[in-house]
Amino acid sequence: MSIAAENLAGDQPDLRSKGHVADVSRFVRNLAAGLLVLGIVVTGGFLFTPYDPITPDFLDRLAGPSAEHWFGTDQLGRDVATRILYGGLWSIGLALLITTFGALVGVIVGLAAGHFGRLADMSLMRVTDSFFAFPELIAAVTIAGVLGPSTTNMVLALILVSWMKFARLVRSLAISLAHRDFVVQARLNGLPSWLILWRHILPNIGPSLLVLWTNAWSRSILSISGLSFLGFGVQPPHAEWGAMLLDGKSYMQTAPHVMIFPGLAILLAVLSINLIGDRLRDLIAGPNGLFSD
Amino acid sequence: MLNVKDLQLHLDGAVILDKLSFRLESGKTLCVIGESGSGKTSLLRSLQGLAPARFEELCFEPRSGSPVRYRAGWKGRPGLPGSRWVMQDPIAALSPRQKLGVSIAESLHGRNIARQDMNKAVVDALQDVDLPAHFASRRPSEVSMGQAQRACLARALIARPDLIFFDEPLSALDAIVQKQVALTMSRIQRRYGISYVIVTHDLGFAAAYADWVLVLRRGRVEASQAASNFFNAPDSAYCKELIEAAEALGELDTRTSADVGRAEATA
Repeated sequence: MSIAAENLAGDQPDLRSKGHVADVSRFVRNLAAGLLVLGIVVTGGFLFTPYDPITPDFLDRLAGPSAEHWFGTDQLGRDVATRILYGGLWSIGLALLITTFGALVGVIVGLAAGHFGRLADMSLMRVTDSFFAFPELIAAVTIAGVLGPSTTNMVLALILVSWMKFARLVRSLAISLAHRDFVVQARLNGLPSWLILWRHILPNIGPSLLVLWTNAWSRSILSISGLSFLGFGVQPPHAEWGAMLLDGKSYMQTAPHVMIFPGLAILLAVLSINLIGDRLRDLIAGPNGLFSD
Repeated sequence: MLNVKDLQLHLDGAVILDKLSFRLESGKTLCVIGESGSGKTSLLRSLQGLAPARFEELCFEPRSGSPVRYRAGWKGRPGLPGSRWVMQDPIAALSPRQKLGVSIAESLHGRNIARQDMNKAVVDALQDVDLPAHFASRRPSEVSMGQAQRACLARALIARPDLIFFDEPLSALDAIVQKQVALTMSRIQRRYGISYVIVTHDLGFAAAYADWVLVLRRGRVEASQAASNFFNAPDSAYCKELIEAAEALGELDTRTSADVGRAEATA
């Protein structure tokens, strides 16, 4: 402080960032704790479950929840709890894959549109608009239907309908950032376009991108489950939450647990990711957030 | 050294700048004065190739390096080689996610400099603007306005330019900090013999530091005079009014104290 006080009396940095740092570190701690608990439950489940998610056991069909089968068994006698564990890998993991690829495509398109002049902007954004013109799930059903029902085709279809939001966000942020003073300085200092994008545009888009990404992730879980429920996604005998709902549909009256537990799993996963996303948004765009001036 | 002839800037049919000519000698300070909307910042943007200005000639001869001579319009990418630009809002001019040292070093982009020499240059530049070396690892959110403006000054200085453009460099700062930064600016000018073009609306500042004064009004030159002449015998009625207004506000009282400061800086 001595040097600063000597030279720059009465000219103190804004201390607002201190509280924000505390908020962020608390969020990171809570998130880490949550992930740890989830990790323990899931690995514990995989390690200790005596059942296989796919092999049928016809002697024990549609049994209700019990000490042996916590969430009961389905129409082929498979343990519902075990299938939910494995299904989580499909639902959450595939959603993560789809969202990440969608984000990647969107970022590339958005940056190109926002940074390389009017012509690039016009053409890329019209393409984006035409993708936007179709309702997400219906477009995915159509694509998956035309390509044939399989997991790969579902993933492709969902990437194709999910990148546009990222492209729009990235484009608008890139355009507004391009006129900010520090980007102008970088241009005047002779930095090439790609370096400006990499060093100055992308890092400042990152936080908003992260919020949209968590949002898209939870929506993607719903889309995967929806498509699988309709029969276009993950195929039997693999366990996927939406596919499990489809399996249980015929037994809804007599053995509701076959549908209730996968449904709860979807609900909780989507809700958790949304809550994480909301908190992230508060931290980034809230009154004390990174982008508030 | 910098010679601008008949510069004009039209945007969407409106005349922003019209028939603007001036010259600046090496190591001297030109203050561009004018009310808001008079085209001061547009002039700086035009001189950096950021605005589509037309001119008869734009000529800049740095002491080292090849001279730039543009006729009619700007050619090539923005940025007048051998010059740097210090902006009004220092926090906005620094990338929020970069450490100050990285931002400062970026000014040397394209020159083949080893990492070690680069680090040393950053530390030296920070020292030149009276910031301790550890400020290189701070981010803009962790420094004050005055410190940020010093970092911006270091970023300009590290490239050893022959000309620095300032766009109201002090207007975002408190009075005390204004004076300190102004002294630093003037000391650096003396030490490295850099020419300054300073956009300001502070007549007291212009009185203390300008060698030449260019007054803009609605995009036209209202007066272009040596500073000493300007404050004693302004060219036009408008300038006289400006000076009287500044005197009424007491702005020009700072002339004496700033002169003292200038003497200190020289010593």
